[in-house]
Amino acid sequence: MTLTIDKLEKRFPKDDEELVAITDFTLEVRDHEFVCVLGPSGCGKTTLLRIVAGLETKTSGSVKIDGVEISGPGSDRGMVFQEFALFPWRTVRKNIEFGLEIKKVPKEKRKAISDKYIELVGLKGFEDSHPYELSGGMKQRVGIARALANDPKILLMDEPFGALDAQTRNMMQKELLRIWAETKKTVLFVTHSVDEAVYLADRIVVMTARPGTIKEIFDITMPRPRDRASVEFASLRKHILAELEREVVRPTPST
Amino acid sequence: MSSPWERLKKRWRKISETGTLRILWITPLSLAGFLFVWWIFSIIINRAYLPGPYEVFRAFIDSFLTPAPSLGITMGDNIASSLQRFLLGFVLAFCVSVPLGLMMGFFRTAETVAKPVIEVFRPIPPIAWVPVFLLIFKLFWGPVMVIFIGVFFPLLSNVIFGVKSVDPTLIDAARTLGADRLRLFTKVIFPSTVPFLMTGITIGLGIGWMCIVAAEMIGAVGGGVGYYIYFMEQLGKYEYMYAGMVVIAILGILTVGISRYVEQYLSRLMGMK
Repeated sequence: MTLTIDKLEKRFPKDDEELVAITDFTLEVRDHEFVCVLGPSGCGKTTLLRIVAGLETKTSGSVKIDGVEISGPGSDRGMVFQEFALFPWRTVRKNIEFGLEIKKVPKEKRKAISDKYIELVGLKGFEDSHPYELSGGMKQRVGIARALANDPKILLMDEPFGALDAQTRNMMQKELLRIWAETKKTVLFVTHSVDEAVYLADRIVVMTARPGTIKEIFDITMPRPRDRASVEFASLRKHILAELEREVVRPTPST
Repeated sequence: MSSPWERLKKRWRKISETGTLRILWITPLSLAGFLFVWWIFSIIINRAYLPGPYEVFRAFIDSFLTPAPSLGITMGDNIASSLQRFLLGFVLAFCVSVPLGLMMGFFRTAETVAKPVIEVFRPIPPIAWVPVFLLIFKLFWGPVMVIFIGVFFPLLSNVIFGVKSVDPTLIDAARTLGADRLRLFTKVIFPSTVPFLMTGITIGLGIGWMCIVAAEMIGAVGGGVGYYIYFMEQLGKYEYMYAGMVVIAILGILTVGISRYVEQYLSRLMGMK
């Protein structure tokens, strides 16, 4: 699996003018890679992810998976949302089986697959619960299992732990790395937390403020599990944070 | 281990803390107060058209036991006729307004086409339709159609509102999971509107009972509670007239209560509460 983004550009109409959200964005994500996209708010990182998911159209450039241009959403790309986006009337199991139902997978096979992912994300015993009965962390476990059940080539994650408290967040990051190691999926992960990106990623793509483009790419070679208290972790975090802060305070050109 | 007595005490404390207890003893008290005021008024005014609670209660019981004079049917028969009519009108309204509402919420063209016509008819009170419907649909379907009109509009507005209130991230999620337009509709949009539909049903039930008396008053095949009320007034048997009104109130409270219960259960399930 290779995701190739080439000279991507996205413009929105806003009032009478056009707003450039993303410009000249070129990136290649390799198989099994964990890539974090990091940027100040409003830099277009979520838009980037939505374009890859096919939920939004691009203005120009190309986005290809294994050489095939993306046109619209598809089950080869699984998405995990910050707001969880679980179907509230469906149980945990029925949420996870949603994509399989659409693909018309027979019932017994659906159950076998959902059993597998319920086990993988640690939700055994909650199969028949409804989302309102679950905590935030558990909801996102369902979100991840639901995306994985479709067996996508790549997992797109849009600040998936942004709505969780700090402790749950740390635990979910650890869990995600375990799931990633077990499923060997490619992950494109959007976040605004430097700490999260340094903890998770093989590579961190730092974006500029609007119009969003790539500012710098960091290879994180630290072995996992990473120790947040280590000197290496801290210095890397400090360095990237400094890069990012320069973007936040950068004045936007006057119009 | 806690003894049964302690468990009972715990349960009791829970009931009193949630305010259920207050409702449990204030509700009968306020009803008793109402009956008392009614009783006092019936004594002061002392007219045939204002019988006391006891006379009405006796008439209420009697109306079920003995067939009404010159009508020849008991209250049970009247309730059966009214319920049948009510159900028919309600189901009809449901079958028309739900698909129409879903379409109007989903397709902008459908809304643009249907809205002007609907807005013309909406402000006309259901009771104004009684003479017209009796002329067109005669004595059986006439009253049914009045209930239809009463239930139709609140249901329709709620379904349209429901479709427009669908969480857009749920649509996004379904699309990334491979859902096409048809599946979006059946698996996301329709289930999302169910709680709104239930709200519409609750409101529609209330309005339906308001309409039924008006619908049956002029005439209805096989009687009906509304017809009964009107007929007893004509005969000057006022305590029976009031008994008929009590029956309508009870039917209304029961159906709306059940519907509200289902509505609340569904909203909780849908994570709206």
